[in-house]
Amino acid sequence: MARMKFICDAERCIECNSCATACKNEHEVPWGVNRRRVVTLNDGVPGERSISVACMHCTDAPCMAVCPVDCFYRTEDDIVLHDKDLCIGCGYCYYACPFGAPQFPQAGAFGLRGKMDKCTYCAGGPEENFSVEEFRKYGRNRIAEGKLPACAEMCSTKALIAGDSAVIAKIYKTRVVTRGKGEELWGWKTAYGGSDKVSDNLGAKA
Amino acid sequence: MKTLIWVAAAGLALAACHEIPQDAAKPYAGKEDVKPYAGDRFKGDKQKFEQALADRANYENEYLRTGDAKQ
Repeated sequence: MARMKFICDAERCIECNSCATACKNEHEVPWGVNRRRVVTLNDGVPGERSISVACMHCTDAPCMAVCPVDCFYRTEDDIVLHDKDLCIGCGYCYYACPFGAPQFPQAGAFGLRGKMDKCTYCAGGPEENFSVEEFRKYGRNRIAEGKLPACAEMCSTKALIAGDSAVIAKIYKTRVVTRGKGEELWGWKTAYGGSDKVSDNLGAKA
Repeated sequence: MKTLIWVAAAGLALAACHEIPQDAAKPYAGKEDVKPYAGDRFKGDKQKFEQALADRANYENEYLRTGDAKQ
């Protein structure tokens, strides 16, 4: 059984916000609700780092623990979803979440909150797959189409990756052990033609 | 009698001090969700569904996708 997770590589994120834009566009998320956003530390200072943040679909989700109406559930693939028909918009999940994932649309005057909205990992919600109701309440169901979340697939530098935790951990590990080297870097062979044409000849010329 | 009152008062005061287990699994109270692989795309084939997602995830790995670097 897969454990679907996100991982964001702060070394690669360039704060382009394409993840947040892709999410907004894919699910037609209303104004004022940000299922995903890019957070930058030391903005403008050399060495600044950005990271794309949304619901992390926690294995031990605090939102699930505090919900007074028990509207959260976990899919077979470990995606944390909720039933908007049950949500009362109390905001407990917002206070419990360490990532600030739960969002509340303004539902009226005097700061009245609507039902909670959050990243669904593009897996829709407890409505019939691909139904109008599902799209209206939760957005598009890409998972049922065999696709990964739009934010990760849209990421220009592939800083944000999504998928089974074992697969994405392996991708990240490959990057980390390769990073900072020469010919092992991605794109080297494409640009310079591989080691037999570059480094092997360096010694011959010297 | 006085001792008895003190014991009763202490018992009453400490009554709220016990730890309630907070990690007990709570049942989901909402509607049941349809399995993502139940539709026309996968026709209930979970293995095919998981393989599709794994292929998609591996496509995010440019090292594998282009075969451009040593693994």
